[in-house]
Amino acid sequence: MDTTCSAKDLAVLLSSSSNSTSSLAAATFLCSQFSNISNKLSDTTYAVDNTYLLFSAYLVFAMQLGFAMLCAGSVRAKNTMNIMLTNVLDAAAGAISYYLFGFAFAFGTPSNGFIGRHHSFFALSSYPERPGADFSFFLYQWAFAIAAAGITSGSIAERTQFVAYLIYSSFLTGFVYPTVSHWFWSTDGWASASRSDNNLLFGSGAIDFAGSGVVHMVGGIAGLWGALIEGPRIGRFDRLGRSVALRGHSASLVVLGTFLLWFGWYGFNPGSFLTILKGYEKSRPYYGQWSAVGRTAVTTTLAGCTSALTTLFSKRLLAGHWNVIDVCNGLLGGFAAITSGCAVVEPWAAIVCGFVASWVLIGFNLLAKKLKYDDPLEAAQLHGGCGAWGVIFTGLFATKRYVNEVYSGDGRPYGLLMGGGGKLLAAQLVQILVIIGWVSVTMGPLFYGLHKMNLLRISREDEMAGMDMTRHGGFAYAYNDEDDLSVKPWGKVEPTSRSSTPTPPLTA
Amino acid sequence: MSGALSCSTTDLAVLLGPNATAAADYICGQLSAVNNKFTDVAFAVDNTYLLFSAYLVFSMQLGFAMLCAGSVRAKNTMNIMLTNVLDAAAGGLFYYLFGYAFAFGSPSNGFIGKHNFGLKDFPSASGDYSNFLYQWAFAIAAAGITSGSIAERTQFVAYLIYSSFLTGFVYPVVSHWFWSVDGWASPFRTDGDLLFSTGAIDFAGSGVVHMVGGIAGLWGALIEGPRLGRFDNGGRAIALRGHSASLVVLGTFLLWFGWYGFNPGSFNKILVTYESGTINGQWSAVGRTAVTTTLAGCTAALTTLFGKRLLSGHWNVTDVCNGLLGGFAAITGGCSVVEPWAAVICGFVAALVLLGCNKLAEKLKYDDPLQAAQLHGGCGAWGLIFTALFANEKYLNQIYGEKPGRPHGLFMGGGGKLLGAQLIQILVITGWVSATMGTLFFILKKMKLLRISAEDEMAGMDMTRHGGFAYMYYDDDESHKAIQLRKVEHRSPSPSGVITTPV
Repeated sequence: MDTTCSAKDLAVLLSSSSNSTSSLAAATFLCSQFSNISNKLSDTTYAVDNTYLLFSAYLVFAMQLGFAMLCAGSVRAKNTMNIMLTNVLDAAAGAISYYLFGFAFAFGTPSNGFIGRHHSFFALSSYPERPGADFSFFLYQWAFAIAAAGITSGSIAERTQFVAYLIYSSFLTGFVYPTVSHWFWSTDGWASASRSDNNLLFGSGAIDFAGSGVVHMVGGIAGLWGALIEGPRIGRFDRLGRSVALRGHSASLVVLGTFLLWFGWYGFNPGSFLTILKGYEKSRPYYGQWSAVGRTAVTTTLAGCTSALTTLFSKRLLAGHWNVIDVCNGLLGGFAAITSGCAVVEPWAAIVCGFVASWVLIGFNLLAKKLKYDDPLEAAQLHGGCGAWGVIFTGLFATKRYVNEVYSGDGRPYGLLMGGGGKLLAAQLVQILVIIGWVSVTMGPLFYGLHKMNLLRISREDEMAGMDMTRHGGFAYAYNDEDDLSVKPWGKVEPTSRSSTPTPPLTA
Repeated sequence: MSGALSCSTTDLAVLLGPNATAAADYICGQLSAVNNKFTDVAFAVDNTYLLFSAYLVFSMQLGFAMLCAGSVRAKNTMNIMLTNVLDAAAGGLFYYLFGYAFAFGSPSNGFIGKHNFGLKDFPSASGDYSNFLYQWAFAIAAAGITSGSIAERTQFVAYLIYSSFLTGFVYPVVSHWFWSVDGWASPFRTDGDLLFSTGAIDFAGSGVVHMVGGIAGLWGALIEGPRLGRFDNGGRAIALRGHSASLVVLGTFLLWFGWYGFNPGSFNKILVTYESGTINGQWSAVGRTAVTTTLAGCTAALTTLFGKRLLSGHWNVTDVCNGLLGGFAAITGGCSVVEPWAAVICGFVAALVLLGCNKLAEKLKYDDPLQAAQLHGGCGAWGLIFTALFANEKYLNQIYGEKPGRPHGLFMGGGGKLLGAQLIQILVITGWVSATMGTLFFILKKMKLLRISAEDEMAGMDMTRHGGFAYMYYDDDESHKAIQLRKVEHRSPSPSGVITTPV
């Protein structure tokens, strides 16, 4: 595509402009040049946007690693290999189920408001079809899907059979989660703010930019049901009903995981714009989607940091010391909350979001303790609770300007506290109720069915000995050669107070 | 970029009046300026893309360091991690001085490059600093692989020597053959004399990187022999377990993350159109490559999970991690030229190849602490064959230039020429690396510079050569936990007791 131009030739054509054939030829030439320019711009835009989205996808993928390390550090050493294997498998099994059907259920268009169904999206059979729906988009959405499944694994850690993990994980990534993302993110979804047929819920649609509800609440509520149905870990609540902290085995892994999740969140939130090369206002050429992307990274940062600081001081007051694990969880709660409105609120509002998120998490943790609910990663409280707060927060603080820029409209409802009326908040509340309902009626029965078939929780003996020894080939760590179980791979470990079982059961 | 670029023929014709030359000059000047801007934009976008891909590939060094650390015994942790740091550091220097020139210094002959030593005459139309950095990150990956095979029993001096030689000479020559514009087997060859009318297709290096690293490791491990205690007197294999599954998983995920730079980044450019003005461009192929990479690794992981469950009776996370990596090593050769569904097949077979190679290694009493030769060598070779079976004609034409009747995947109706080229690649890499690295390791052994003594091996290399134990979880300073260079008698009962729960 050449935009070169020969002045001599063009002049000849132009000079005899009284001759209409030549001026037509000149004009044709000029127009073809402009057409070339237009094509080049379009190519450039695709290259830039795909680069942006692909690297964002890689960042979101890094959150799998972060969550794996967070999980590992938060559980006892005897269950480390188990929890890490579930994280690896969430990603691996999720790739297959999301590729085969999950992506199609989520985004297969044209379709109805409930679920996607266009044949060409199943196993990416005739992909890519049009702008904005390229492989980078698939990879990005896959990375989100496996995040949701990962969250749930935290709630049921340390006491769940591996087969149950495989089953719930494939079902969540392949069906439950894609359906929810269809409702709120596809152009057909009944509650989507980007619905193309203008029949928006309450004239607004629910605004959940990067998934406080779609990802975090879905993962958290699923985890809630799993943990409720299988009950607390042995020893978590003593006979008098007091809670006993079952401390994780490595604070270093917790911090490593938290920072990696933070790092990856810069793909999760700003990346949800999907494209970056778009100007918003002719009069201000420096202001475009790239600015909004940057602003989103800033709101994300501020919310997490505020939540971390709030947690730091609150826990200092409540527990008497500076607790790094709690601060890490508070940080993540702030991120989970801002995820919904990160693109449509001012930076100062993000500080409010993080501040409240910290208290929401502390509150839910106290409630969980009261109700004797055990969640090794506080996943339901953090992702479910702070996620729900995040959805409400958006209904309160979304600004008029940003809502109309991001969701291209005019006169859309916006945050209640910003003078935008109550319609957006109403849509947000509907989102919360509907997600709780849908996930409860799908994942609840699944976990219950697994429980009834004795496929959910592991045996008491296995739980005391630790899942790594009994199901995963041995202890995760071997710091001295005496720990080297090469000669006697099974007979080594001394769980709490009893001698080890001679041959641990090899039940799956 | 608001407002559409449109043009009305009739309107413009009216405006073009008598003073034509000035108008023509002005218009052509504007178009020329626009053209220049586009050129600038393309370079900026492509360099950004390649640099960030290079940073991702670099993070694979971290991943491999953690994988190695977790896979060896605690008493050798500092040693293996130091070798990983030094692979990157020494590699940086030697690749800058000669490696890049041997690999890509063109114009040159089919065997080896001969320009750009020390990045002289850089940048040029054919490459900028981003290309150098990207290729450096690849070179140190190859050297890193080899260190896995000879872990826990190799003298540090031997590491320095083999690593510099591999990164500075052996590897660059191979990359010249298959990736430069002069290479005798390269599909990018510009003089029209392609091997079997196609050249060998190894997009991101199943052969060039993984087989080179794996075969070099094979010779090192063969020549120095298994670790003490790996095979007992009855010939049975004894697992010498790694000391931290957490580090293994950390390392594996970091390698996965970095692979998104390794495979898609190998396009070098993203702003290339296949059909201007449409979505049909290299950005799409880049995304597709990220998807094929993902699918192959995930399938290999799942296959390994269930395969090992059947074979050994439990769900093994470290085996799943290795299977995952084997899938990635295999898809690396054909990631850009196959359909996503084919990547699923690639991963499935790669898992079986790895299981098979490991069984064979056990039978032949070959000890490789990281399974590097089996994984990178074995799965890498499978990856080259896979490409010969499933390469898609359209993608080959888009990437390697339009050639009517181009040989492509055997199962896609493309004939057997590509398979022929791939088999040549496998043979030639095996031969070249064996001749160079095999000889080097043999000489080192003869000069008693290769393997450490039996006492040092029992005590652990960290204590005897690296200043002390890598971990210190308790403050009670038992003598053998302090930083001293005394040898420790392994057989005596360890005073501080067994560490079961690191803090």
